[in-house]
Amino acid sequence: MTPALALEDLEVLYGPVPAVRGLSLEVGKGELVGLIGPNGAGKSTTLHAVMGVVPAAAGDVRLDGASIRGRTPESIARAGISLVPEGRRIFGELSVEDNLRLGLSARRKNGAVDPLADAYALFPMLAEFRRRQAGALSGGQQQQLAIGRALVAAPAVLLLDEPSLGLAPTIVDAVFAALTAIRERGVTILLVEQRAQRTVALADRTYVLANGELRMTLTPADADDTDKLIQAYLQ
Amino acid sequence: MIVAAVDAQTLVDAVGLGAVYALMAVGIGLVFGVLRLVNFAYGQLVMAGAYTLAFTSDWPIAGSILACFAVVIALSLAMERTVFRPLRTQSPAVMLVTTFAVAFLLQSVALILDIRDGTIGEPATSIASLNQAIAIGGVDVRKVTILAIVVAVVTLALLALLLAKTTIGLQMRAASTDFRTARLLGVRADRVIGAAVLLSGVLAATVAVILTVQNPLVAPDFALKETIVVLVGVVVGGIDRLWTATLGGFAIGFATGVINGALPTDKTVFLPSAVFALVILVLVLRPAGLFARTRTTVADRV
Amino acid sequence: MRNRLDTAVALLGPALLVVLVGIGATFVSRSNEIHFLNALASVAIVVAIYVFVGTSGVLSFGQVSFVALGAFAAGVMTVPFDSKAGVLPDLFPILRDHTIGNVASLALAAAVGGAFAFVVGLPLMRLSGLAAGIATFAVLEITHNLLREWTKIGPGATTLSLVPETTGPLQATIGALLVIVAAFAYQRSPLGRKVRATREDPAAAQAVGISVHLQRLWAFTLSGALCGFAGGLLVHMLGSITTEQAYLELTFLTLAMLVVGGVTSLWGAVVGALAVSGLDTLLGNAEDGIGVGFTLDLPEGSRLVILGGLMALMLILRPSGITGGRELRLSRRRAA
Repeated sequence: MTPALALEDLEVLYGPVPAVRGLSLEVGKGELVGLIGPNGAGKSTTLHAVMGVVPAAAGDVRLDGASIRGRTPESIARAGISLVPEGRRIFGELSVEDNLRLGLSARRKNGAVDPLADAYALFPMLAEFRRRQAGALSGGQQQQLAIGRALVAAPAVLLLDEPSLGLAPTIVDAVFAALTAIRERGVTILLVEQRAQRTVALADRTYVLANGELRMTLTPADADDTDKLIQAYLQ
Repeated sequence: MIVAAVDAQTLVDAVGLGAVYALMAVGIGLVFGVLRLVNFAYGQLVMAGAYTLAFTSDWPIAGSILACFAVVIALSLAMERTVFRPLRTQSPAVMLVTTFAVAFLLQSVALILDIRDGTIGEPATSIASLNQAIAIGGVDVRKVTILAIVVAVVTLALLALLLAKTTIGLQMRAASTDFRTARLLGVRADRVIGAAVLLSGVLAATVAVILTVQNPLVAPDFALKETIVVLVGVVVGGIDRLWTATLGGFAIGFATGVINGALPTDKTVFLPSAVFALVILVLVLRPAGLFARTRTTVADRV
Repeated sequence: MRNRLDTAVALLGPALLVVLVGIGATFVSRSNEIHFLNALASVAIVVAIYVFVGTSGVLSFGQVSFVALGAFAAGVMTVPFDSKAGVLPDLFPILRDHTIGNVASLALAAAVGGAFAFVVGLPLMRLSGLAAGIATFAVLEITHNLLREWTKIGPGATTLSLVPETTGPLQATIGALLVIVAAFAYQRSPLGRKVRATREDPAAAQAVGISVHLQRLWAFTLSGALCGFAGGLLVHMLGSITTEQAYLELTFLTLAMLVVGGVTSLWGAVVGALAVSGLDTLLGNAEDGIGVGFTLDLPEGSRLVILGGLMALMLILRPSGITGGRELRLSRRRAA
């Protein structure tokens, strides 16, 4: 089966310094795969390279078998990959509904009676606040908005860049629960996170990235193995 | 200190001038919003429109105006393609200097085209009839002043509607705030930029028509002074957001109109110095603009 | 050893070019001499502008106002005493009743330029980017307005003439060399290094205790003084001056010269000034239908088109200019 998303020997440079080198990983259709690692490991860079925000110096990125390397971010978004960026990056001065409507720019199939219905169903809070200015929402609510916005594009693959950053544990629970629900709808997920243990427990498979290179792969069974987690990070 | 005589006539004319400047400010502000580029050559778009009206003087009015819009829009899009696009990665100051060069370039091209008949300046006669005045309540209001105000109000209202209610408007607003994230959501950069440039061109053509009615003799420096004043007004108002830029443009136009109308000519020789000194004062105190929310600036280097 | 050679070459390169142009000026006919002198005056102005714009990275549209002030100061004070009261009747008595010599007038021009730049720079140097561009443009407009309307300090809207034409090949060459040496000394001095640090990374510079405002003020003041000096050279070269000659077109031209040559280096300033001057002369001759080896007859007004187009093209294709913004070096530095 062709993986939904495949990275092959990916290399990304910041100036002369390689931020990511020789990275190969696969995310199968319908899988929820994690990507963890210490600060500066290159996790965000990897996602940016997939979205075409930074150029890949070498290697390939394939969406459902077809290479998307070198394409513009908007064309990649329209091809079916949505990114929930680090720091959420919502448009504070636009309303919640306008933020969601923006996500429709990447939507390929039209015809749904109310394309925003899915996002409202997943996050009822958004429906309640739909007219409110997005900047007035709390951190957790903004995170839900950011995810909802990425979902209205009906993507095949969803990328998330540290969604739990700066959120209280109970909110993180809600976010992770939403991810499970999203996965159940058949969306493939690549989750970049700092919270190693929760990610390893949630994902089908978790890759550990350090210094731009893939160090090891963990399964949910390893979630309680603190030694292994520490070893992965400190290598 | 002389007591300025500000009568109804002066006020109406000042509002008219403010209206025209507001339109230009929007044109400049739209492009800045999506491209972070100050188009110093904006005045040359207006000039090109004016020359088109002059060179088509013997056409029917509607045809002349249509030609004006066509030429200005084409020139705007060409400018975007050849100058703005390659410059997108440069600092705002480099972009400013380049548009400065383009402004000189276009002005000189106009000079070459104009001077073929031996004189500088081409009259645009077909629409000059709108320059006649009608009396409203004892005040001599020129038809074109009413036209300017009405057109400005309608245009700005339509634009506000477009930005608030349409998809492309929403995309433009988002792109002005955070272009990268907008692209990640699938917003097509080229389409948004093209829309902004197109609208900006339509506004420039509108201004060209209005200004040409008021000053039918078109020379290569047509609208140059106005552009400089509008640019100053836009930066003083706050270029980062469309409504502050527009307000700045209107304010400086209105103020110029009032002062010019109120003071006798021999007292106005040092007016430019006073105005520009005020501009410096405002910029030193509030570099991001009078109406801006924050005090931070668009800092950069050459 | 290589470092000292590099330093010497970085100064001698531009200096040599200037001397060559100066020598060239003595060999050509009287009517062509003016082009060479113009080129040298351009070098002086452009290098003076570079001292601020190139080192601090702040775009200024106002440097030419200091050129204007220097030109008018030197010009007004050297008009022969007998004629002065006649041609400039409204002058302040202190200006009308005194006349100074050539060198003194150049010193005065520099002093006036520097003083004005300092006063203006005090508030303005807090600004960057777009705000700085507009504010310095405002300075240009104010200076132009004052010089044009205030007949107590100068001729106002009329031409200031009868200025002694003391800038021949020798004065022009020495003048340009002085400006180059001053710029070179500044950029190698601790002050120069500090202001360049503020260009590279203002936040980092502040973090190590460099006052961005102060360093820019020094650069701006020195640039103002040198611009004033260049204005003095200019007025003594032309024998006359009008406000329009040191206003928008000169601002555009000198900025174009700096950008085309390379904004961030002294070598760039000199190369740009000479290259664009040469091209300008060529185009000017072609416009007049004068043969320049081959006959090229350009329509009137096209020289600004070509210059404008060249500048735009350079900025689009190679924003770092002909020299790439680097100083002249003999040795190719090996990668560390």
